[in-house]
Amino acid sequence: MTNLFTSATDSFQSQPATAPATGAGRAVLQLTGIEKVYQTRTIETVALNHVNLTINQGEFVSVMGPSGCGKSTLLSIMGLLDEPTSGTLELDGRPVQSYSDKELARLRNHKIGFVFQSYHLINDLSVLDNVELPLLYRSGVGGRQRRQRAYAALEKVGLGARTGHFPSQLSGGQRQRVAIARALAGEPEIILADEPTGNLDSVMGEEIMDLLLTLNREQGTTIVMVTHDEQQALKTQRLIRFFDGSQVS
Amino acid sequence: MIRHLFTLMWNRRRANALLVVEIFLAFVVLFAVGTIGTNLWANYRQPLGFDYAQVWQLNFTTGAQPRTEQFGTQRQLMAELRANPQVAGAALTAGNTPFSFNDSQTRLDFVEPHDSTRRPSGPINTYYIGPELRAVMNLELVAGRWFGPADAVQGAHVPVVIDERLQRAMYPDGRSALNGLLAGNNEPSRRVIGVVRAYRTDGELQEPLPSMFEAILPNDTTFLAQSVLLRVKPGSGAALEKQLTDDVRRIGPGWTGTIRTLTDMHTVQMKMRLTKPLLLGSMSVFLLLNVALGLFGVLWLNISRRRGELGVRRAMGATAGGISRQVLGEILVLTTFGLALGLLVAVQFPLLGVQNVRPDIYFTAMLLAAGALYLLATVCALYPSRLAAGIQPAVALREE
Ligand SMILES: Nc1ncnc2c1ncn2[C@@H]1O[C@H](COP(=O)(O)OP(=O)(O)O)[C@@H](O)[C@H]1O
Ligand SMILES: [Mg+2]
Repeated sequence: MTNLFTSATDSFQSQPATAPATGAGRAVLQLTGIEKVYQTRTIETVALNHVNLTINQGEFVSVMGPSGCGKSTLLSIMGLLDEPTSGTLELDGRPVQSYSDKELARLRNHKIGFVFQSYHLINDLSVLDNVELPLLYRSGVGGRQRRQRAYAALEKVGLGARTGHFPSQLSGGQRQRVAIARALAGEPEIILADEPTGNLDSVMGEEIMDLLLTLNREQGTTIVMVTHDEQQALKTQRLIRFFDGSQVS
Repeated sequence: MIRHLFTLMWNRRRANALLVVEIFLAFVVLFAVGTIGTNLWANYRQPLGFDYAQVWQLNFTTGAQPRTEQFGTQRQLMAELRANPQVAGAALTAGNTPFSFNDSQTRLDFVEPHDSTRRPSGPINTYYIGPELRAVMNLELVAGRWFGPADAVQGAHVPVVIDERLQRAMYPDGRSALNGLLAGNNEPSRRVIGVVRAYRTDGELQEPLPSMFEAILPNDTTFLAQSVLLRVKPGSGAALEKQLTDDVRRIGPGWTGTIRTLTDMHTVQMKMRLTKPLLLGSMSVFLLLNVALGLFGVLWLNISRRRGELGVRRAMGATAGGISRQVLGEILVLTTFGLALGLLVAVQFPLLGVQNVRPDIYFTAMLLAAGALYLLATVCALYPSRLAAGIQPAVALREE
């Protein structure tokens, strides 16, 4: 695949390594020459084509682009869920390529929180048990502490009264708030959200968006959010557009 | 994590109910088979009390000979048998010989020596035998004495030799039963003169009963023993067998004799006693196979259905090993649910004392059944858990 589009207005692409004026400063995620090629038996798909990108601490970045252009792939690489075919990813200034499965799991657990389009709550666990999940994979956090932190996270998203419910008893917006609480419970530095409002109507979407904005503003959590909603994207500090595996703005 | 697994599986109890029921049923069957097996094994490990490798059994029928003459002919036959250089010893006995499936049981009262109170015994295997039996069967005397010439004279009490099991039944506190009395209703009471290790004619697999020997008196003309146990010299075979049956025919008018080796009788009895347990055992193997397939299938299906969930867990920080342990843990938790139900049923047996089985045998069987099912579950989970560990965390962003 060739990239027909070149950068239109912004200058981020050409200066990936330097911190932009927005944001609080140091780079938490730095992608240099990231390429991701999916090799299947019949075809080879270039999902990411030489992407250079820096995410700074405290930033709220939105990512837009047509379906299939590589947004989820980008998030999965940033979130250490997948390895790039080539290029380097630095987390807090340290390249992550050489980490073992265990170390990667630890980093995911401590540094990163995920929010998915289809919530991905575990239906057979109560709201509280769902939110505890990241802490379950963290050593040194006792049962009582888990409970407390999960409660606190649910309070933050306004669901402190629903802890005993099961996901099936909640509306879509509530489910996504639970998912956000789950991402928050581990107190990560970065939240990666893949179309978090994609399955919600506009009112509920607005709610979620407000929640993320508040988080970013009040706690300084770094957020990278994939969205199809131009209005939402405009509320964030920086908008990155993708097309066919490349950043176009 | 263990609590998490219990919560998760408890919440999924409806979806997994069938599997839990299957595990429960498998446990109940395994418990039954285990009880039978453990019981057989416990019986097998107790001393048989005799040695049958070179022993033959001769049975004779007396044809039309008048009864009064039969005793003389029998004495003559015994004399000739003992005179045979190939025969090391011969003892008359009633029909309840080793491995013959015949038994003869008596119930008597144990008489307490200091106050003469009576306590009913359970069934006692009773053997009417010639005094030569001890030598023929290599019985091990552990206390007192065996029958001697003095016992030929009828006294106030009938002298008996008992086995250790009967001694324990008479005196559970461990006292010696020598000179102890066993009283009957309309018969003279017995006095214990000796104790032997055991004489388990029912064979190794049967629950042993207490045993008691009474000597056939030389001048007894009420009971005609028609079996003889013979200890033959090593190397004896068909030739001796023919010679002995010919002797019977020659000595007794109209008499016939048949000979079987105790080794053959033992083999036949073992086969008979093992047929049912083995059948049950193989049926339970099929059941287990079924359960194993069920477990494996459900696990496999679950893994492919739960790719999203497992991917999310990895995104939250679970390692590949953690996922694999979780899958294994889940199935062990399910097994535990099934076992808990099964144990509720199984525990009733020792508690209520149904069946005549010792509690420790029940408990051993429970342990064995539980162990077998945990093992089975682990084996069934090995491959699916590896499959689960291979799920890439990135699927979390794709699976819907
Ligand atoms: N596991 C995979 N195997 C093969 N191709 C993939 C895989 N994941 C994504 N792709 C392809 O990579 C491209 C980018 O996908 P994705 O990152 O999901 O796009 P977006 O999230 O922007 O819709 C698409 O063409 C998609 O078909
Ligand atoms: Mg996507």
